[in-house]
Amino acid sequence: MNTHAILDGIQGSPLASWVRLSGAAPVIESTHVLAAVLLFGTVLVVDVRLLGLADASRAFTRISRETLPFTWIAFAVAVVTGALIFASSAHTYVGNTAFRLKAIALLGAGLNMAVFELLTARGSASWQTGAAPPRAARIAGLISILLWAAVVLLGRWIGFTKGYDFAIPPGVELGFPAGPG
Amino acid sequence: MHDFAEWLSGTAPSVAIQSTLWVIRVLQGTHLLTAGVVTGTGVLLSLRVLGWHRPDQPFDAVWRRFAPWLGVSLAIMVTTGLAQTIGDPVRELTATSYWVKMAALLCAVAGTLALARAGRATPPGRRFPLVARIIAAAIILLWLALPLLGRMIAYDRAIWGGLSLRR
Repeated sequence: MNTHAILDGIQGSPLASWVRLSGAAPVIESTHVLAAVLLFGTVLVVDVRLLGLADASRAFTRISRETLPFTWIAFAVAVVTGALIFASSAHTYVGNTAFRLKAIALLGAGLNMAVFELLTARGSASWQTGAAPPRAARIAGLISILLWAAVVLLGRWIGFTKGYDFAIPPGVELGFPAGPG
Repeated sequence: MHDFAEWLSGTAPSVAIQSTLWVIRVLQGTHLLTAGVVTGTGVLLSLRVLGWHRPDQPFDAVWRRFAPWLGVSLAIMVTTGLAQTIGDPVRELTATSYWVKMAALLCAVAGTLALARAGRATPPGRRFPLVARIIAAAIILLWLALPLLGRMIAYDRAIWGGLSLRR
């Protein structure tokens, strides 16, 4: 099965049709924006701690444990709503450069988090408190901020560049004037 | 309001914003990112009042941690929001979502300041009074409503139906 057929399958699914035709799209899209900004706002609290800019007297693992659950909830909502939005116009999104860049930024953010958890955070017992976490932790925090900001901004950018791809309901005449010739 | 919005869209500042695409995009991007900081810090502060976030830390310390970020982000968010309103007044001022969002913003800010006062009056280690906890729960909903309503401005008729101010 090629990519085109897969996208056809997604876009033609009952769920995708429901998003396009039920009138739920504005609510789904608004919820996606809410989840994205909440994700950015909460992950920033952890990243700022990694950079040593705030909460220096509070253990990093503690901040991570008490803040990241909110980030994960926001992430889950963003994924579900994002998947619904994507399904409604799969072909358009896959062909959109901002969407592709957003997917890369998402992947990068996930990779950054994995590397941090598997390697850098293992030695965190020695820098739980104090204003200067090791360089690797600070770099991970900075990359995280930049990538999540990119995800949010590229998400907005999709709206500028996606164009208007919607099904014209049967019987509706848009009434564009005929062009010359 | 429609007439005022029409007049505003013809003024020099509005035309300047409308006619420069990168300005609109920078304004919207900055508005979104600062909305993230406002929502995150606003919600976490209210959760502290409810005792569901950093309960071991005195409220005053949590306030000192989050309030500056909240204040600065809020100032940038309001400024960029105002500039977007001037740049596209008909779209913004004729949307019911816009006015509900403004009311929610005012209530969230006033409520957060009230919580700060309650925080100073509550001895460390003691639970906040019930009224303060109810206000905190309401403020969380208000902070969460802001980005939701912001995006809904684009779909005002679809969201509000007959209650939409759009003609």
